[in-house]
Amino acid sequence: MTNETVMTAGSGVWHSHGARILKIVVLLALLVFAPTLIDNDYLTRIFISAVMMGLMAAIFDLMIGYAGLINFGYAGFLAIGAYTSALGSFHYSISPWLGLLTGGLMTAFIGFLAGVITLRLRGLYIALMTFFVGEAIRFTISNTPDFTRGMLGLSVPPYPDILGIDFSRGDLLNYYYLVLVLGAIIMGSLWWLVKSRFGLAFEALREDQLASQSMGLNTTKYKLYNFTIASFFAGVMGAYYAHYISILSPTPEEFGVYRTVEILTITYVGGRGTLWGSIFAAFLLIGFQEYFRGLGPWRLVIFGALLIFVMLFARKGLAGLKKYFW
Amino acid sequence: MELSLLLDPGILAQVLAQGLVRGSMYALMAAGLSLIFGIMGVKNFSHGELFMIGAYVMFFVTGVMGLPWPMGVAAAAVVLFGFGVLIERTLIATLRKRAGRDWLLDAFVLTIGMLVVMQNLALILFGTERRGVGGLVDGTFVYGPIIITYERMMIVAVAVAVGLALWSFIRYSDLGKAIRATSQDPGAAQTLGIDIQRIYTYTFGIGAALAGLSGGLLISLFPAHPTVGFYPVIKSIACVILGGLGNISGAIIAAMLLGVVEAYSSFFMSGGWQNVMTAVLVIVILIVRPSGLFSSSKVERA
Repeated sequence: MTNETVMTAGSGVWHSHGARILKIVVLLALLVFAPTLIDNDYLTRIFISAVMMGLMAAIFDLMIGYAGLINFGYAGFLAIGAYTSALGSFHYSISPWLGLLTGGLMTAFIGFLAGVITLRLRGLYIALMTFFVGEAIRFTISNTPDFTRGMLGLSVPPYPDILGIDFSRGDLLNYYYLVLVLGAIIMGSLWWLVKSRFGLAFEALREDQLASQSMGLNTTKYKLYNFTIASFFAGVMGAYYAHYISILSPTPEEFGVYRTVEILTITYVGGRGTLWGSIFAAFLLIGFQEYFRGLGPWRLVIFGALLIFVMLFARKGLAGLKKYFW
Repeated sequence: MELSLLLDPGILAQVLAQGLVRGSMYALMAAGLSLIFGIMGVKNFSHGELFMIGAYVMFFVTGVMGLPWPMGVAAAAVVLFGFGVLIERTLIATLRKRAGRDWLLDAFVLTIGMLVVMQNLALILFGTERRGVGGLVDGTFVYGPIIITYERMMIVAVAVAVGLALWSFIRYSDLGKAIRATSQDPGAAQTLGIDIQRIYTYTFGIGAALAGLSGGLLISLFPAHPTVGFYPVIKSIACVILGGLGNISGAIIAAMLLGVVEAYSSFFMSGGWQNVMTAVLVIVILIVRPSGLFSSSKVERA
């Protein structure tokens, strides 16, 4: 590294404005062109997983990192989006493209209701409440096999072709570009949101609820905004997930506590309250998971240990390394 | 099942007995979780994994080494006490020092990490095979319409004994008094010369021992396997919320109530819908009475 001395100083060429633009361009170019250039289905799947999980974690971060709200039933909210879109196309032939919107709106609605009953509580109580809301959603899906096919699994049609682009799952690259487009919209919206006065209100909530209240901030209202908006985006991602993954079942691994834990780990490893940390962490963790497939359950042991390590010793997560790379 | 059967006193009695057995199991599972929550404020999400380790200890002591079952249960409690102390000293105490004011939410996430590590280590060490110990006690108790195996009666007896022992320990022993003082006001307790760190370590150790004990005792119903803790942890959390967070006797009464309600509701709905009902019950309680069914104190809201 030629920049070693400069890096420790925290200024200079590596940290200059131009270098930062160059870094963004290189990263974006890798994100957009790497899967096309390599053109290998296995690698494309990994990129799709990483972007998808990264987005789900960034949305989770909007709640925990910016407002201190822990949605421990998060996977249940993803399930609402996934099943709304999937069942819509399965039973009522509603286009999966519209499903992205209906999935988002339905999840926002459920998120709003969950917010209304949760917002009198705080901290751990929110985690407990949302956990049981998520479980109630999951068990309801698994108990209505006539409608949702429950544990038998619901097969979900692919996206119909649009503008002459083939979405038959024959060419996964198109699914990758779809999730990139969704990602650009979602990350842009989240970024705008946390930079706006909403973001300031969220942070005030997280730091000191009582003080924010006495300064005249309507904490309940902003909690509800945060929860509903995050749920909307979670629903959109759930809907995308459904048509990409092609078969849904309400198992704890897919829509229960294990999925929530997976996403929570990505958010915490990436760094709470950063949004972008989640995306980097998702690439790191999902890449790791794939590269070390041979390790089997050891990968999850390492994941858990990593979460413990972050909680104890690296409380900013990957974002703590930002000063060296940015 | 016909609804009219519910009016039959014989069936009512049998269902009530089953509900009480089920409730005793829930009470055993929930006691350790409630203790740790009540004293430290930590919601230990790895409680089910401590239960799982207890089941494995039981399996090795009784199933492999062939020792009598009470020794297996005792071994499970002792091993888990040591393990709980170790976890508290190395992980939770470290977090408490580093995380500052709002450390409890972080402690919850820390225990999630512990859950993932323990569950997958168990998978690596023991595989997915279910390792049970067949009936600890033989025979069936029959009294009129009530039919219960002696094993289940033994579970009820142990649950009652553990409940009484825990209650008298907290109430009368010096350590128990120090534990209560710490839970009421850590600052004042410290001023009076109580070593809070030590109290937290013992509390977590005892809570873990209770989880291990229930994992060992219930092995014939829940054979040891890596994810066996999933069901106990959900039921325990439900009992702890219904009884009032941190209210141990409340949690035990709630466990009994939940057991009986579930036993009766098995007339109306399948096992799957019972899970929905339990979740909805907890949600409703959190909405209307966040401090639990039996608590007079108010929880922090807003």
